[in-house]
Amino acid sequence: MIFEAGQRTPQVELTPTSCLIRGECYPENISEWSDPILKALEECLGNDEGGFVVDIELYYFNSSSAKFLFDFFEFLEESAEGGKSITVNWRYRAEDDTMQEAGEDFEEDVSACSYNMVMVEQA
Amino acid sequence: MTDNIASQDTVELHSFMQERKTLFCYSGPLTEDLLTTISNPVRHQLSDKETEEIVAKRVFGVFIEQAQNIIRYSHHKTKATGDSIGTIAISIAEDGFLIEAVNVVDPSKKDILEATLVDLSVKDQKELRDLYKKRLREGPPEDSRGAGLGFIEMARRVKKFEFDFVESDDGALFVYRGWVK
Repeated sequence: MIFEAGQRTPQVELTPTSCLIRGECYPENISEWSDPILKALEECLGNDEGGFVVDIELYYFNSSSAKFLFDFFEFLEESAEGGKSITVNWRYRAEDDTMQEAGEDFEEDVSACSYNMVMVEQA
Repeated sequence: MTDNIASQDTVELHSFMQERKTLFCYSGPLTEDLLTTISNPVRHQLSDKETEEIVAKRVFGVFIEQAQNIIRYSHHKTKATGDSIGTIAISIAEDGFLIEAVNVVDPSKKDILEATLVDLSVKDQKELRDLYKKRLREGPPEDSRGAGLGFIEMARRVKKFEFDFVESDDGALFVYRGWVK
């Protein structure tokens, strides 16, 4: 399932074994945008396909979206605590201290998921 | 050539904006739709100035938080649609950028806003980061329509910020100025 990127929202790609979020996130209405995504994610995590890999590569998100990301990770954590094997890759561009710090901060609240900080070269 | 007063006024507006090196200014009803529309030209202006991408992103981040503050909290609304009225501007200043916002503040929220900003103004980067995390975990304080994170986010991105309350015919104006380098 693909949620196409908008001017203020990232591309989201969901499969039974993976989730990719890439782009910028400062939607007009955060819950209007995120509710269908969280619902689709719930369905993906509910299947028995084994492991699940989450790749997040955001270049910018606003403070309202930070709350969505927090809930998103909490949701993954609950699934991982329930026995699902989940890997999170937080991808940030070299020199982007803001996104690096954000990734480190979310990492603090994650323990059941395997969490990697991945530096990527700027395109 | 004309020397009528009306065109003189327009020229003064032009000169004033040029002299203060204002790249972008909007004053009037602000909605999320309008913010979507103006986001691209604002970005374009910032990338035109040979600004480092990281700095441009910081400026843009502060701009978005200020704009959404006006949309959510301006106490001055259009009569017909209830849209929030405010002013937002980005200018070149002190080897960097000045991002400014003005809106009428809800009189019942003025004291708490002032206390919040005084508190943020004395915190260092580490304290701001910790407070941001704490607020994220604990959820928004009462009376916040956003996640209550906007002012902390701005304080983390600016080199310094100033704020003030100024009386006007429409009520007390909240003035926020943030400098980004």
